[in-house]
Amino acid sequence: MRIKRILIANRGEIAVRIMKTAKRMKIESVAVKTALEPNAMYLSYADQVYDHTSDTSEIPVFLDIEKIIRIALETGSDAVHPGYGFLAENAYFAQKCAENKIVFIGPSPDSIYKMGNKTIARRIALAGGIPMATGSEGNIGNEEEAAAVAGKIGYPVIIKAASGGGGRGMRIVRKAEEMERLFITASKEAEKAFNDPSVFIEKYIENPKHIEFQILGDTKGNIIHLGERECSIQRKHQKLLEEAPSPALDEKLREEMGRLAVQIAKAVNYYSAGTVEFLLDSDRNFYFMEMNTRIQVEHPVTEIITGIDLVEQQIRIANGETLKFGQDDIKLTGWAIECRINAEDVQAGFAPDPGKIESLSLPSDPCVRVDTGVRDGSVIVASFDSMIAKLIVRGDDRKNAIKNCKMALDKVWIKGTKTTLPFFRMLVRHPKFIEGDFTTAFIEKDLTQFYYNSEYEEMLAAWLATKLFIEENLQDDSISVDFRDGKEMSPWLLNKRINQF
Amino acid sequence: MTSKKTSIKKLYALSSEKRRYSFPLPLKHTIRIGKRDYEVKLKADEKFGTYILWKNRKYPVEIVRSRQNKYEILFNDISYTFTVETPFSLKRMKVLSTVKGKVETELIRAPMPGKILDVFAREGADVLRGEPVVILEAMKMQNEIQSPVNGKIMKVAAKTGINVMKDDVLVEIKPD
Repeated sequence: MRIKRILIANRGEIAVRIMKTAKRMKIESVAVKTALEPNAMYLSYADQVYDHTSDTSEIPVFLDIEKIIRIALETGSDAVHPGYGFLAENAYFAQKCAENKIVFIGPSPDSIYKMGNKTIARRIALAGGIPMATGSEGNIGNEEEAAAVAGKIGYPVIIKAASGGGGRGMRIVRKAEEMERLFITASKEAEKAFNDPSVFIEKYIENPKHIEFQILGDTKGNIIHLGERECSIQRKHQKLLEEAPSPALDEKLREEMGRLAVQIAKAVNYYSAGTVEFLLDSDRNFYFMEMNTRIQVEHPVTEIITGIDLVEQQIRIANGETLKFGQDDIKLTGWAIECRINAEDVQAGFAPDPGKIESLSLPSDPCVRVDTGVRDGSVIVASFDSMIAKLIVRGDDRKNAIKNCKMALDKVWIKGTKTTLPFFRMLVRHPKFIEGDFTTAFIEKDLTQFYYNSEYEEMLAAWLATKLFIEENLQDDSISVDFRDGKEMSPWLLNKRINQF
Repeated sequence: MTSKKTSIKKLYALSSEKRRYSFPLPLKHTIRIGKRDYEVKLKADEKFGTYILWKNRKYPVEIVRSRQNKYEILFNDISYTFTVETPFSLKRMKVLSTVKGKVETELIRAPMPGKILDVFAREGADVLRGEPVVILEAMKMQNEIQSPVNGKIMKVAAKTGINVMKDDVLVEIKPD
């Protein structure tokens, strides 16, 4: 049976991204309209919109297995694409889909379960002789046990959520005294985020690079890799910029890591798209970290350098098709960089800055691809992630990609919220980034300033402040010097006022 | 409302890092760099909203906050905060700052809107710099809010379970 209608169990840019490919493949898509975002952009890409605005439950519908299954059945969807986050790595959901004769566009429930549980994944990798950081045998029950295990491994160690991902439920512990407090926070955070408080402990690899391999496998047992992505530009384990390929790998290391990534995927009979994550230390030793059994946020950089549409492959594999290419057919051409433009205040430690996007202007250029789920008037709500858009830039080589990226960053105009744009403008000019000389500790250790401003920008801003002051307070060169009667007014009202000039 | 009218020849914009920019009045629409004057244009259009045109480049501008003589301006996506002072108010400010001396209390504010998950701070207790005082959950992340100073906790406004807005005061500390 071929998929004819897909329910998109997600929102934002990834919902748009999936529907674009579905449309090209002449497959219908169904999107879910929620009370939180009734005017969201992704809804306009769907062939059918399921109105779920009457549900005002605090838990998003995209996390509710029963509701998603019911919506799929009601809308006659024969498949569900979970995107990333939400139910994307929920084995029980994949199982429920199968029970209801709905195709889950992703791997088998068994693969999701095994790789989703980090302690089981560690055991599988260990059995296959995959290099790994030393760690606890299984999950850790309490803070006393944690302290004992950490003492044996040696500090620093990292506490990780067994069912985790995306940096949540994760803490680095450098001293025995910090263990109790950090163990409790990590476990609490894991319980809240993944409904599972279990955590385990690993030796913390200092200043590694984050290198991950894109895997593609079909249901016939063919598994290949599509090269690596370098995702070392992170803050609090949240990726900010990714590129493919990595400046740290040569052909030999790529071949070796890629082969082991495929081996791990084979160990769980993996099919669909997946990602095997490694840490690479300064001596070029690498360690298996985890496998993500979903499409990743940063998948576009791989698509750019391989020319393969990963969502299309996911759908074809879900249809039972055999991969049309083998490992030798995969050629990495050029270089791609992705900047995650988030509604965050770089000057306030990347604090989320949710709000309404007053206006948005994105570059259209052959070397630029923008994946976004927002448009003018869209609201970045605090209940979801803070992503506004992914700016994906291509170049012939790394140098050229950085140059194109610098140009593209100046063409992105977003008004209404603060964004990570000033951070990327700084990054593409930073000598260490340009050299490829950076690790996951780059933001915390190597940076003194998190944003870029060219000369005179502050002076121009000062000029504007002075101009506004004059408009508000000065008539005919005379001024009320007493500010006690000062007033507050909406910034947008003020903006309207300057607009009248 | 009482207001004293004075003739002003100059205005100063003071940045939060205490850099001072002075502008003679009436305000010119040019800025002098070295020996040349460059034109500054404040413009707006449908596509870009408000922007400043300077040396053939457009910079997006936004006014984030404006209160009395204090302005937070987003210029090319970077935030700058200025207080605009007249020669008179600047002088008064200088006098005040020497009289007042150091700040007595350190206010720990919420860096972002969110929910208080845990409060470690206890009124009257001593804290060390870097010690966590509150756990704030925002956008699914738990953030440890740490004390920026060594001192004594004077007041704890944060309570477990409550929602806070950005800049809400969580804890007051008297620095040592």
